[in-house]
Amino acid sequence: MQIGTLIAAFLTLCIFSFLYKDNPFYKFAEHLLVGMSVGYILVIAFNTTVTPKLINPIFQEGKIVYIIPGILGLFMFARFLPKYVWLSRISIALIIGAGAGVAIPATIQAKILAQMQATMIDFATVDGIIIFVAVATTLAYFFFSKEHKGWFGATARVGTWFLMIFFGATFGYTIMSRISLLIGRMQFLLGDFLHVIK
Amino acid sequence: MINRQLIFILIALSVAVPLVIRLGLPNYVTSEVMQVYEEIDQLDSDSVVMISFDHEASSLPEVKPMAVAILRHCFSKNLKVIGFALLAEGTAIGDQILREVAAEHNKVYGKDYVFLGFRPQYQAAILGMGEDIKRVFPQDYKNISLDQIPMMEGIKNYQDISLIISVADGDMPAYWVDYAVSRYHKKVSAAVTAVMATSFYPFLASGQIVGLLGGLKGAAEYEILIEKPGIGQRGMDAQSVSHLMIILLVILGNMGYFLRRRFTG
Repeated sequence: MQIGTLIAAFLTLCIFSFLYKDNPFYKFAEHLLVGMSVGYILVIAFNTTVTPKLINPIFQEGKIVYIIPGILGLFMFARFLPKYVWLSRISIALIIGAGAGVAIPATIQAKILAQMQATMIDFATVDGIIIFVAVATTLAYFFFSKEHKGWFGATARVGTWFLMIFFGATFGYTIMSRISLLIGRMQFLLGDFLHVIK
Repeated sequence: MINRQLIFILIALSVAVPLVIRLGLPNYVTSEVMQVYEEIDQLDSDSVVMISFDHEASSLPEVKPMAVAILRHCFSKNLKVIGFALLAEGTAIGDQILREVAAEHNKVYGKDYVFLGFRPQYQAAILGMGEDIKRVFPQDYKNISLDQIPMMEGIKNYQDISLIISVADGDMPAYWVDYAVSRYHKKVSAAVTAVMATSFYPFLASGQIVGLLGGLKGAAEYEILIEKPGIGQRGMDAQSVSHLMIILLVILGNMGYFLRRRFTG
């Protein structure tokens, strides 16, 4: 048996031990996971981003202009120095400004206009009518400028039924997702580790 | 009052027993999974498919079966595959899955497939590849310049890509819709963990994504379509039995609650 399989099985059992109660084995595996993840992300980010996108262009290709984003990146670390914290705000402002500029039109197009269009089409079909009624009544539930009484209250209540159906479906999918993770670990423990299943 | 450890043991048994003793419960293919299959199946050989590994290591049991099934289909159709990751933890996993499945089909790195590695700032990366892939990924994961990779010859941006598939455990496919679909009118499919699947049905209904695979079930359905049973189908017996167990426990819990309320007031 490979040493990697043994270590993975030991750490899996350490994590599962939490199901009985919190213990040092669980804490060890949890801290190891957090530390390894952060270390891995740092190395990947440095090797696949900082080196090819900043260090190589400046030092190998002589693209001096890349120093500007480099300096703006370094400004982010000024948050650790109370006297120079204002420098980080320049970088943050740039990120927020550019990010919002890029995201807002795309989000409006993809998540509002396209979705509204999809809600309006297919009025002749049962699906189309259900989608329209669900959207309209759910939006009514989230309209708080009119008290939820009378016909408006009844409409909002229909909206809550659709919300409950959505929550139920989401919860069902969540269970399926979590069970899938357990199946993955069980397949590893019973297959690769114990060789009970082929 | 039922001891919670007893519930854990029952769930563990309902998962472990069907893995050891195969029940062969039936599974069927849904239209959203069929859409992804048909989209890939109608592509001409040598068409280029992009697979973005937008997930973390913790979701491996769900995303790996989906990625493997889709890649098997792509390679069996002799499609070219460009892999990369927009979440750091997906990098090594994506590289490993791509190499494993490519080896099954005797595919050659640089000729039939390539793995570009990881880029942070996914909005910038998705938008940037719409203009020039080489500007976003000057080198591949092995630090080979893209100019030296034969497969990348003639591939500049999304215009040269037939389909983008985001294998994700979060809302990354939504960003693909925001930027690649809305701005570049590119076809995007999503293979997401089950917990995320409901978030993408509105995009599926509106036609903004082409098909959807949801977790282990999605992988199992895809394995049926490509007629190659894998880890997805093997896990579905356990999935079904554990769901029945959970339904039983929910019914028992509710009965207990109502009985206790009736007798204790």
